[in-house]
Amino acid sequence: MQENILEVNNLNMHYETLGGEVAAVKDITFHVKKGESFGLVGESGCGKTSVAMSLVQLQADNAKISSGSIKLDGQELIGLSENELRSVRWDGISIVFQGAMNAWNPVIKIGEQIREAIREHYPNNSKLQNIEKIKELFEMVGLDESIIDRFPHELSGGMKQRAVIALALSCNPKLVIADEPTTALDVVIQDQILNEIKKVQDLLGLSLIYISHDIAVIAEMTERMAVMYAGRIVESGPTKNIFSDPKHAYTRALLESTPSVVGEKVKLNSLDGEPPSLIDAEIGCSFSPRCSKPTENCKSGKSEMGLIEVANGHFADKCCVECG
Amino acid sequence: MSNSEKEARKKIRRAAINKNWSLFKQSRLGIVGLGIVLFFAFLAILQPILFLTGVWNEAVYDPVVGYEPERVNLLVVECPQQYPTEKYAEPNDCPARGEVNKVLVFDPSVSVGDYYETSLQPAPPSSKHILGTDSLGRDIFSQLMEGSQVAFLLGLLSATVGVALSTVLGSIAAFFGGRVDAYLMRQSDLVLMLPFLPLLFIISAFVELKVWHLAVVLGILGGLGGSVITIKSAALQVKVKPFVDSARITGGSRMRILFSHILPNVAPLALLFMVFSVTGAIASESVLSFLGLLNIDMSWGLMIYLSQTDGYIFSGLKYWWLILPAGLSVTFLAGGFYLVGRGLDEVFNPRLRER
Amino acid sequence: MAKYLFNRALQMFFVFFIFLTSSYLLFNAMPGNAFQSLLLNPNLPPDAYEKTLALYGLDKPLIERLQLYIVNFFKGDFGYSYIYFPKSPVELIAERLPRTLMLFSIVNIFAFYTGFLVGKILAWRRGSKSETWITITSVFSYTVFYPWFALLMLYFFGLKLGWLPIGKFLYPEKWYDAPFDSDVIFVNMIWFTVIVTIIQFIAYVLTRNIESISIRRNIRFSSFILILIGSYFYWGTGEALIRRPYAADIAYHMILPVFTVTLLAFAGTALLTRTTMMEVLKEDYILTARAKGLSQKRIRDRHAARTALLPVVTSFIFTIVTIIDGSVLTEQIFSWPGMGQLILQAVLREDIPVAMATFSFLGIFALVAHFLADISYAYLDPRIRIKSQG
Repeated sequence: MQENILEVNNLNMHYETLGGEVAAVKDITFHVKKGESFGLVGESGCGKTSVAMSLVQLQADNAKISSGSIKLDGQELIGLSENELRSVRWDGISIVFQGAMNAWNPVIKIGEQIREAIREHYPNNSKLQNIEKIKELFEMVGLDESIIDRFPHELSGGMKQRAVIALALSCNPKLVIADEPTTALDVVIQDQILNEIKKVQDLLGLSLIYISHDIAVIAEMTERMAVMYAGRIVESGPTKNIFSDPKHAYTRALLESTPSVVGEKVKLNSLDGEPPSLIDAEIGCSFSPRCSKPTENCKSGKSEMGLIEVANGHFADKCCVECG
Repeated sequence: MSNSEKEARKKIRRAAINKNWSLFKQSRLGIVGLGIVLFFAFLAILQPILFLTGVWNEAVYDPVVGYEPERVNLLVVECPQQYPTEKYAEPNDCPARGEVNKVLVFDPSVSVGDYYETSLQPAPPSSKHILGTDSLGRDIFSQLMEGSQVAFLLGLLSATVGVALSTVLGSIAAFFGGRVDAYLMRQSDLVLMLPFLPLLFIISAFVELKVWHLAVVLGILGGLGGSVITIKSAALQVKVKPFVDSARITGGSRMRILFSHILPNVAPLALLFMVFSVTGAIASESVLSFLGLLNIDMSWGLMIYLSQTDGYIFSGLKYWWLILPAGLSVTFLAGGFYLVGRGLDEVFNPRLRER
Repeated sequence: MAKYLFNRALQMFFVFFIFLTSSYLLFNAMPGNAFQSLLLNPNLPPDAYEKTLALYGLDKPLIERLQLYIVNFFKGDFGYSYIYFPKSPVELIAERLPRTLMLFSIVNIFAFYTGFLVGKILAWRRGSKSETWITITSVFSYTVFYPWFALLMLYFFGLKLGWLPIGKFLYPEKWYDAPFDSDVIFVNMIWFTVIVTIIQFIAYVLTRNIESISIRRNIRFSSFILILIGSYFYWGTGEALIRRPYAADIAYHMILPVFTVTLLAFAGTALLTRTTMMEVLKEDYILTARAKGLSQKRIRDRHAARTALLPVVTSFIFTIVTIIDGSVLTEQIFSWPGMGQLILQAVLREDIPVAMATFSFLGIFALVAHFLADISYAYLDPRIRIKSQG
């Protein structure tokens, strides 16, 4: 059995706003094994990015983790002091951000921004060593080494994205979180970037968490995955299993709404309605307003919520399993 | 426009104003500033009310020509040549409160040790005059309120003139570009080149500067200067937005685009400028009055000017009511407007908000 | 690029020409003239007044005088001062300018440095109680009624406590048998300040590329110590030693004005920095910097403050432009005989050559500074730099 590089248990996080407390992450539990790629999928606003931010404790100022545990390679992250967290960041967990266009400071050269990160965690390296390292990284992601001396606005979107990946890898992290890294790019570049990520992962044996709202990308990139809705995980398990036998109504709806290139032309099944506002307290299953086959139990909350195992490693929300 | 459309517009506007107000309330700076401004506005209104309702006798309390006829009994003393003595520590201490120097008593029948009845100006704060009187017997508090009126009038008038000018010019420069832009930039260069204070000295040689004149002059100088450049760059940012292009494609005339699209989007910045201009105008007026250049009946700057020419500034805290209220008022009102401007900044610029 | 420079230079020249003409007309339109005080003398010989006017060419018609003035101006002949005859305006400016420059360059350096620091810290501590109240205090120090405040300071430190001199820039008694003119000392002090600043600046620039943070900090600090030691030796030997007590006298007189004006001036920069930093802090790349595990201080200084520097530098350049204009009031109050006082006197007493010369000086200064500000902005923001070349 491989060790788990990341274990998240019963994580709860909420935002304090003027309108009240908004629970963004509700009782999230999952784990990532060493060297595997784990996918997190869901609609915009379902809490995926909040989970990612919580892992490195980078949430916004008005966000608070109320309970739960996050263990990176056995080390508990919640409760660490700011200084201790700083050494975990990038070195332990690094992020490839959503919208890499803006991740770069426009007045500092790319190479300097990467060296800065390396310097923070490996202060004894010489400048030459760092530059060599960057050249290696760039080769890995398919960038020319002249990029080192360029400013961010001189690069195209795809190049910036690759540079962000190089940046994320610069300190040999144990875990990389890729938060919708290809959303803003055209499909051709998207394909290239995804291939780069796969290649790098194989090469370095990285553990990867891949976050996206695009279920097709998740299918291609990940070995295990979790589906989030309104701040909760509603289904999780090996990617192949979930695709072939989705148990939760939401998962099914997601899969059905993706058009297929092969086969007949069919009308797209889109999901009516909107995700619930996270300020209001939940009554029953949060998906029930949009479910095609809701039962009384789903709406009133009489049945318990919570994941139960339906097959080996495949978990789904209890009530949905029961109503089929 | 149909009636229902008008209704809808009104509703949206009201909702927007409410939202902006609640945003403004969040800003601590803005609220403090607003409080200060309202306080001084209250003072400005208070004076005519007091006169009209007869609470104050105009002959006594008028800030310019009032006179306090009350007389007090003072002990006549002779101030020694050498200090310190057992009674007085410094030259400044003689004559003390309730005393008068023999040399100032022009009645030969009065000698040291007698009590002499005279009017005492400037008088310290008392129950009749909350902040005392100045050397001409005029009530300081009344002067303060009059100065408040002047400050508001002058500030708001010059700010309006200045901002109107710079907004229109800046938008035109941004919108038309090319030669028009170059011309307007050089014009504001010209204004920037002139030194402010000497220029006002020159102007005061030609024109008798009353409140209105000064307001307009300050407005024009402010409006034609550097603010044109700032508004222009803001207008440029609006100009490149897609909705301007769509307005042009649908055949909007240039004037219409200028007025209906660009100006409203530059308006928040202009509003900000206006508030900050008031600060500058109040400060400028005080400085100019202090230098004796203006022909205004009463203002805060003038109060300080008078106390300086009468020689009370270096008397230390003995005559504090002549020095402190006016100076503090200028400081606080100008600062109040500035804080309101900062609060507005937070409303218009979401990145500055806390949440 | 060259085309832009050429066009701009042409425009500036044109503007300056208009400026010259209108200033001249303005001064001449002022009622009275410089010599009217002669008329107050009851013993004045009969045509003395007319003769004096003729001597200075004031009897010629306005247009002719304007033409003469402009032609002479571009030949470099600025005439002679009416009041300080036979000194020429250039001499007067050369005499007064160092005094103003000395005082206000020190003020501006202190004010900007302090303001930037305070603004940086204020933006970083957004939302805390102390931030609100420090900001409000800064606002009031920005809007305080300057003459009033300056007089209070003079009273308190000069008269009451007697720690600092009340006015002027030196004690005449000490200079009674001085071998030097005050201008020489001023120029000396200015050069000293300039060189020290340049050395420190070079130290900063050269150490920019050193990899390790601690080594970089050490080198910069030791350069500062070196400068201190160097100054000690400089003022302790040779020619400088003789000048030292005079320079010290001037410096002593500078303390109060510098302190007073800096107190007011720093707030403007602090507030500007604070606003700009607050905007920058919401940018995505700050989030990236935090994710990289950088320390708060480094994020604040290297990333946020660096971007916030742009508008602050622009405002610094514009402040330099208004140095002399702003000095008018200060020099009046502290009796510091510099450029500001010179201009004021020239305007009040209608010393037209001096007034024109000083106004022209300011005018050129303002034009050039505006131009430099445009260029430096393009340099500091590489995005604009590339665009203007492309």
